[in-house]
Amino acid sequence: MKMHRRSDRMNGRVAVRLALAGNANVGKSTLFNMLTGGSQHVGNWPGKTVEKAEGYVRFGHYIIYVIDLPGSYSLSAYSEEEVIVREYLLMEKPDVIVNVVDATALERNLYLTFQLLELEKPMVLALNFMDEAEKKGIKIDVELLSKLIGIPVIPCIAAKGVGLIDILEKSLQIAREGVKPNPPIYGSEVEEAIANLLVEMRDLPIPEAYPRRWVAIRILEGDSIVEKMVASLGGSKVLRLAESLRRRLEESHGEPSSVVIASERYSLIGRISSQVQTIKTPEKRRIVDIIDDVTSRPPTGIPFLILTLSLLISSMFFMGGLLSSIIEYALNPTIAIVEDLIRLLPAWVKPTLIGMMDGFIASLTLVIPYILPFYIILFILEDSGYLPRVSLLLDRYMHRMGLHGRALLPLLLGFTCNVPACIGCRIIESERGRIITSILVLLIPCTARSIVILGLVGHYIGVHAALAIYVFEVMLVFLTGLVLDRIITGEKLALVMEIPPLRIPNSNIVIRKTWFRLREYLIIVVPMLTLGSGMVGFMDAIGVSRMLAEILDGFMKIAFGLPGFTAIPLIFGFLRKELALVMLSQAAGVEDLSMVLTYKQMITFTLITVVYIPCLATFLSLAREQGLRRALESSLLTMVLAFLVGVASNIILSFLL
Amino acid sequence: MSLNDLTSLDMLLEGEEAEVVMLVGGRGLVTRLAEMGITPGTRIRIVRRIGNRGPVEVYVRGSILALGWGIARKIMVKRVS
Repeated sequence: MKMHRRSDRMNGRVAVRLALAGNANVGKSTLFNMLTGGSQHVGNWPGKTVEKAEGYVRFGHYIIYVIDLPGSYSLSAYSEEEVIVREYLLMEKPDVIVNVVDATALERNLYLTFQLLELEKPMVLALNFMDEAEKKGIKIDVELLSKLIGIPVIPCIAAKGVGLIDILEKSLQIAREGVKPNPPIYGSEVEEAIANLLVEMRDLPIPEAYPRRWVAIRILEGDSIVEKMVASLGGSKVLRLAESLRRRLEESHGEPSSVVIASERYSLIGRISSQVQTIKTPEKRRIVDIIDDVTSRPPTGIPFLILTLSLLISSMFFMGGLLSSIIEYALNPTIAIVEDLIRLLPAWVKPTLIGMMDGFIASLTLVIPYILPFYIILFILEDSGYLPRVSLLLDRYMHRMGLHGRALLPLLLGFTCNVPACIGCRIIESERGRIITSILVLLIPCTARSIVILGLVGHYIGVHAALAIYVFEVMLVFLTGLVLDRIITGEKLALVMEIPPLRIPNSNIVIRKTWFRLREYLIIVVPMLTLGSGMVGFMDAIGVSRMLAEILDGFMKIAFGLPGFTAIPLIFGFLRKELALVMLSQAAGVEDLSMVLTYKQMITFTLITVVYIPCLATFLSLAREQGLRRALESSLLTMVLAFLVGVASNIILSFLL
Repeated sequence: MSLNDLTSLDMLLEGEEAEVVMLVGGRGLVTRLAEMGITPGTRIRIVRRIGNRGPVEVYVRGSILALGWGIARKIMVKRVS
């Protein structure tokens, strides 16, 4: 992006920064995708697990840098997303804000609009889903709305590209002129309190980034972040006045001041929307309403969900397996050549290079095939509005683990491969939920671990034993979830969720979104896995792994009742878990493992393999998503769990078998 | 209005309409609800109840919100006929 910036300067393009803000499910990311096309870059906000999407669009003499702010319903700093949006708009000062609004839910959407207006930054309003509003019998007087709220309003249909040029033109005009909107004026009682505060704030050296009226409203609402800022500027007198004004409001209304002010905003919004909007509800019951009912009510919704999930998992396995063999087939000739080349090199570089090659191949043949169908299916489900309905259906069960229904998706993905599952945790709304889910994901037996389960326990003992291990795993995940919910601190967001209408997903948008994610994976994750595997190969070459195996020998015997040679495959399992099985035969020196291991030992070994630290690739992705510290903590946790499970298995099975 | 008319949102049946009278709960929760449009005086309609003690879907201010059962119990309303 930096390079583009330089060349564009040379071409004499003027840079403009545009921020997209809006509620969730208003088509904001669709608009973003339509505007920025292939230029976009998706990452995380610094120090946060919230996704940050940036891109640019060349338009006339301008190059417009677009940032897609996380979906939020207010700017009150209750959730991480709200903090990010607010901080960005105040501190980074984009040249223009484009507030994306769902025309089918004008009243709710205007709440954020009003809070944005309070920031007094150049702004336009993009009124999306105009076609859907029409179908629902909603008519909006765009010009009157624009006049009443004092900013340009542009009707659009983002998914079809209707109105995009208008949005860009109006945004540029507003950015160029730097027109700041007038903040909304509320009822006399609240306005009086604001005026009083503003007088008291006269001499307070408030940084220019914060509009004074906004600061006054925020401390009247009891915003602790803004209060802290005012206190640090020596505004203790202001805060004392705010406290007494707040109390006066609360006494006359019998509600917290924040509720009083929220009600003020809504009553103003209610007046405006009743002026600009006419609703004629169609009498016929529409097909979407019927589908909505079928998918939402438990008696039909649960079977529908089970059907969807089985389709999802089987298509992920099927498409994944197919893609995997295609990619492998395509890569084979090249691999053979590279292997020959490596053979010519001096012995000391070989293990590192072979490790790198293994990592590279694994990232292409094991991860991409599964991440691709996952994203396609995820975006179809996301675009259709089905996911919130799943959340509702499963809410009671997921709640036990401190999660909402949404977390089910990455957990399911974990059965194919933990790497995309870790990345998939991004779809969870709360930070706390992301932490819990990413730990649980690590315990889900992926394809590689299934190879060990099926190849060892399934092969030698029987399918019933393999199945029992899967059942045990699912129970372990649930129990761990229960425990994590109790020990992990952080805000538990109560369920207050908007349920968007069901929509037919736009294939264009689904393909675009999938490709951009996949591209990011190719550019960043593949090289990371290649280097990481090379490092393990190097450590193996200098004898670190063998040394560890020797140290662990006695430990394996005492703790798990396993022969010493089983330590080596466990160590190699860190590189790739399915290698553990191959290494086990190698280390034992026999093909038929039933000659050297009892059933009890097989089960214990499999359980440990399945539970203990994620493979290197998963560890690296986790570190990238959640930070190194969390990745280490989670890995340590799985090691402790694996230890406990191994010891318990050794003891309990001694009695049973 | 007598106190007897007051009931919590979770007691309403599907299709019933009510007016929000009072929000019970901590400042954080109450503010969140108000910001999502559930302020005293708001008209609210039960669209769907998901199971016994499950979330409740309500129509409020032109869109549908899902509220956890625990939250629905904290919203005091009076029925509107």
